[in-house]
Amino acid sequence: MKLLEFEAKEIFQKYGIPIPDGVVIRNPDELRGHLNEFSDEVVVKSQVDVGGRGKAGGIIVTQKEDAVEAAKHLFSFPIKGLIPKAILVEEKLPIEHEYYVSITIDRTTRQPMILFAETGGVDIEETARTRPEALRRAGFSPLLSEVPGFLMRRILGTAPKELGPVINNLYKAFCASDALLAEINPLVTTSRGVFAADAKLIIDDNALIRQGITANRDLTPREREAEENGFSYVELDGSIGVIGNGAGLTMSTLDLIEHYEGKAANFLDVGGGAGRERVMKAVRLVAGMPDVKVIVVNLLGGITRCDEVAKGIIDAGIDQHVITRLAGTNEDEGKALLAKNGYQMLETMEDVVKQAVKEAAA
Amino acid sequence: MIYGDHTTGIIVQGATGNQGAFHINLMNQYAQETGGRGVVAGVTPGKGGQKVHGIPVYNSVREAMAEHDATTSVLFVPGFAAGDSIMEAASAGLELVTAITEGIPVHDTMRALAFARMEGCTVIGPNCPGTLSPGELKLGIMPPHLAMPGNVGIISRSGTLTYEVINELTRAGIGQSTVVGIGGDPVIGQTFTEVLERFESDPQTKAVVLIGEVGGNLEEEGATSTNLPLVTYIAGISAPPEKRMGHAGAIIEGGEGDAVSKIARLRKLGIPVAEKPSDIPALVRELL
Repeated sequence: MKLLEFEAKEIFQKYGIPIPDGVVIRNPDELRGHLNEFSDEVVVKSQVDVGGRGKAGGIIVTQKEDAVEAAKHLFSFPIKGLIPKAILVEEKLPIEHEYYVSITIDRTTRQPMILFAETGGVDIEETARTRPEALRRAGFSPLLSEVPGFLMRRILGTAPKELGPVINNLYKAFCASDALLAEINPLVTTSRGVFAADAKLIIDDNALIRQGITANRDLTPREREAEENGFSYVELDGSIGVIGNGAGLTMSTLDLIEHYEGKAANFLDVGGGAGRERVMKAVRLVAGMPDVKVIVVNLLGGITRCDEVAKGIIDAGIDQHVITRLAGTNEDEGKALLAKNGYQMLETMEDVVKQAVKEAAA
Repeated sequence: MIYGDHTTGIIVQGATGNQGAFHINLMNQYAQETGGRGVVAGVTPGKGGQKVHGIPVYNSVREAMAEHDATTSVLFVPGFAAGDSIMEAASAGLELVTAITEGIPVHDTMRALAFARMEGCTVIGPNCPGTLSPGELKLGIMPPHLAMPGNVGIISRSGTLTYEVINELTRAGIGQSTVVGIGGDPVIGQTFTEVLERFESDPQTKAVVLIGEVGGNLEEEGATSTNLPLVTYIAGISAPPEKRMGHAGAIIEGGEGDAVSKIARLRKLGIPVAEKPSDIPALVRELL
């Protein structure tokens, strides 16, 4: 789950990373009581979780007298379709130089990986393209509790030593908050020391519970309902509903729909043990999407009971046609049950997908 | 047979849970059919002395190993405790752990894998269906009746999609040497590269089907690392960016790991890429 800038900064501060003085407001008027905390210039920052926020006009640098107006504007200014629920107002730092630093998990070496660039404040991809020599990366064992000194020296090169403790603290925050990504861009030097001028933190969805996060905000309401039922679910914008078991098989079903020039409405992986009740819930959930015309159920497993799955589909009692491909035990009983209730069961996933694309186009 | 054969003795960690107990039974049914040793002991801390489908349960891997000849474990321990269980198995001296568990926090996985490596223990998974050497050994939860013995290895990040491919190959009369589900998490113990290394020294395996999906670039890394004839399939050509497609590792992030560029890179290496699972048998036949 992605955290917003101000949430990430709160966590970074807890691990000793200096952040600019600032205040989080939920409406423009809240700012009035805080204006005396700032000297002249302030930065007003829309708290939406999208990349390129600055370029899109989501960050305004202004005299503090005009800050309330700026906040008013940002509260009603959509960035890539998102309206902020909160705005962060901060002191304007006397920036001397901007750097980039992030920590991620490298899939190949299975280690934390620090990425540092001598130029910050711009997209790291852009730096990689235009100034690759300014980029340095280093991985190290996840069994270490700190970034080893020799690696830190290699990463920093000629950059100021003062950045070292901040990067080390970023690593501590990264570990303690189960992060997939911890990023400071820009990390800035000023006459008053080093600051994290921006902050980004993505928390591992598998660790949300132990991080004390109860609801994953990255999900749409229907995606959250699906998650509560133990399904993996992604909303798309076609008219063919898809239910499968296993992420790979379900993805492959979506791909096959595209291959035959259809459009899938969703991805739904019912997970292991697709029984009567779970199948019924899954079918209802998918049928509840407004554009779904036909539903494909593609279940393959040694232990899937096809008669139970058939009963689940029939229990759901939906309006749309359901076309199934079931492989498991009691296939004949399942097929007979479905046929009796006007649903189709075909042999292969290609047969099912072709039939669904035809029906969706009709 | 790249991870063991019918003489391999198995310990199941998380033996008394629903999943563990259920699959002890299925693994031992398969062992009985194929003349293997199957699961010889179970481990669940605090449940020592119980029996699951006639198999004795111990409080620790160390205790189980003192009583039984076993070199490998299959792990069904819940996500929050699974990292610890991997380290326990490695520390007790097991050679191989197959971690079926889905939902392990990735920092736990990362630390457990680093620890296991220091102890000289190989880890498959997590979030995987395990491995199957048809007629010899089943470690995990794959349905063995779809498979038949033969010369084609399979390596896959997926579970059921792998069964689909096994099914297609078997129907086409192409048998499998070993099928390896390496897992759907971003951090896994055995990547394509490492499994391919084992296949290279396996006299039974003549060609390998590599089943990948969106996220990361382990498929391309694997494909460049081997001289074995390969056929590949990549799931997720229709997957939208920044959305997790079921697996924790199946996500196109920052414009990287999408199916189109993966496929392009594989084709550039001269490796055949199947457009759909049903095309795989014909492509494999060309290699044999």
